[in-house]
Amino acid sequence: MAVTQQKPTNLDDNEEEEEAGAVAVSTHSPLHGDVLDLTLSHVPLVDLVHAARVSRSWSLAVSSSLRHFRKPKPWLLVHYQSTRSPHVVSTRAYDPRSLVWMDMEVGPGRRQPPAKLASALRSSHSTLLYGVSPARLSFSSDPLHLTWRHASPPSAWRVDPVVALVGSRLVVAGGACDFEDDPLSVEVYDLQAHTWSVCASMPAPLKDTSASVWLSVATDRRRMYVMEKLTGATHAFDPEVGAWLGPYDLRPDHGVFYSVIGFAGDRLVVVGLLGNSEDVKGVKLWGSIAVGADELEEICEMPEELVKELKDDSCRVSSISMCSRGDFVFVCSNSKPEIVFWCEREDASGVWRWGTARDPAARGRSLGQRVAYTCAEVGIGELREAAATGNGRFVVMEGR
Amino acid sequence: MRYLALPLLSQNLTESTARAQTLSLYLQLSLQVSLSQRNESTMSSSSSSLPSCPKKVVTLKSSEGETFEIEEIAALQSKTLENMIDENCADTPIPLPNIKGKILAKVVEYCNKHAEVGVDAESLRAWDAEFVNVENTTVFDYILAANFLEIPTLLDLTCQSVADMIKGKTPAEIEKTFNIKSAFTPEEEEQVRRENQWAFE
Repeated sequence: MAVTQQKPTNLDDNEEEEEAGAVAVSTHSPLHGDVLDLTLSHVPLVDLVHAARVSRSWSLAVSSSLRHFRKPKPWLLVHYQSTRSPHVVSTRAYDPRSLVWMDMEVGPGRRQPPAKLASALRSSHSTLLYGVSPARLSFSSDPLHLTWRHASPPSAWRVDPVVALVGSRLVVAGGACDFEDDPLSVEVYDLQAHTWSVCASMPAPLKDTSASVWLSVATDRRRMYVMEKLTGATHAFDPEVGAWLGPYDLRPDHGVFYSVIGFAGDRLVVVGLLGNSEDVKGVKLWGSIAVGADELEEICEMPEELVKELKDDSCRVSSISMCSRGDFVFVCSNSKPEIVFWCEREDASGVWRWGTARDPAARGRSLGQRVAYTCAEVGIGELREAAATGNGRFVVMEGR
Repeated sequence: MRYLALPLLSQNLTESTARAQTLSLYLQLSLQVSLSQRNESTMSSSSSSLPSCPKKVVTLKSSEGETFEIEEIAALQSKTLENMIDENCADTPIPLPNIKGKILAKVVEYCNKHAEVGVDAESLRAWDAEFVNVENTTVFDYILAANFLEIPTLLDLTCQSVADMIKGKTPAEIEKTFNIKSAFTPEEEEQVRRENQWAFE
């Protein structure tokens, strides 16, 4: 924990003499009501967990401050997995409300993810972390990824399939598999019945691009959406019915050469790179014009100075990942993991704007590591539960 | 006093042109008269020989009765004072019975600094940091004053400074810093402590 500094206090004529370095015995505290709420709006969420435990009035002030002065914002979680055995996974988190980066520490009671998550750690549709191995399929969908569940593996062996959690069904689709008859096969795991069932295969046009490296995945309550990153062609799968829908053309601007899909709240969003991979000219955010509609309108274009930061030294952008939740869209470049781009919808005006956040501890961190991104709506409740069960807590390491 | 140059009216001018010229002369004359009248009145009211606009000043009275003057333009940073100035209540000293003299002096200093033009953002930030680099009790007094006078920039600055005192502390440490009596019963406290044993280490 950070070292606390107590300032030596000056004294009123009416108060008793205190020794140097002792705490001020003030007869009143001005910290109550709106002033306390305003003060707490400047305190990061991780510290508000402690502030809420100070007294009943502070507990109420924390709730009031979070509701009226500065609401919690979705966190970006960056998961690093060592490519060398034992493939330890470490997590860093970014809280855009207070602009702080945190390390996640695990407690003694932590139920570790599969002891050696020998399979590659992957993320899907902003909220799912998973790893597929011949022995089992492990996945985690809670906000802070503290609980992992395991399922028997799908019957068809797949390398890098598309995996998505839709309601209480886990969908596993595609994945390059040379020895199988159907590289487009789809299997669905029922989380309640613990059984696998085979469903309608992926549409034929996806024959050569059925691995998760080529496809961007998004889910809403009922369906999984799969977009080919290079062409923008999108198909949807409804696991309850077991049927594929589409294709949808979600590329409103033909200058886009690469796009990814997600959901911000109920709205489908697409982030597209304009130009070509050798020379990215711009980045735009589109959103569906209405809930459930498949027509897109442009929401916000990334300012030029930020686009410059997205490109690496050779002006190339290899690929981007997107996580989105509520009013936030996070975009990360796989070749520059130390910088995160976000696009936020401002509550009052409804206007979206772009910004960046640099991770002060990311330098060189991604060497020899696999990186996966997820996004979570984290509140006091989630942090408290994580600490109470001993599963995890977040500590601000930098810039205190 | 300027002297009007009266143009010679030529005999060959048309009637409308003559009328226009007469009107113009009349306007010039009346303008000169009013200007000289104003100069006279200004010269009689101000003590200096230059007819310049005097700076408006607002007087504030602390809880101990001490008075502090603040230029109107600096006072406008306080919404409370701005309202008073708008409603013309700022001609007499404004009593601030809940702000002590030494705090009021510093608040005036803050407003004056932030009303200055041509200060670059970096040095202003450094000045602000020094301003709140004082004892906790003084910062609390600044908060009370900023809240009462409704000075949003000062309120934000001081609240941020107090927020920095909360960061990184356990509940027990926060209680000590702010001298708060916990409102939880001993049983509740013990339960909370046990639940979060690891979190608060």
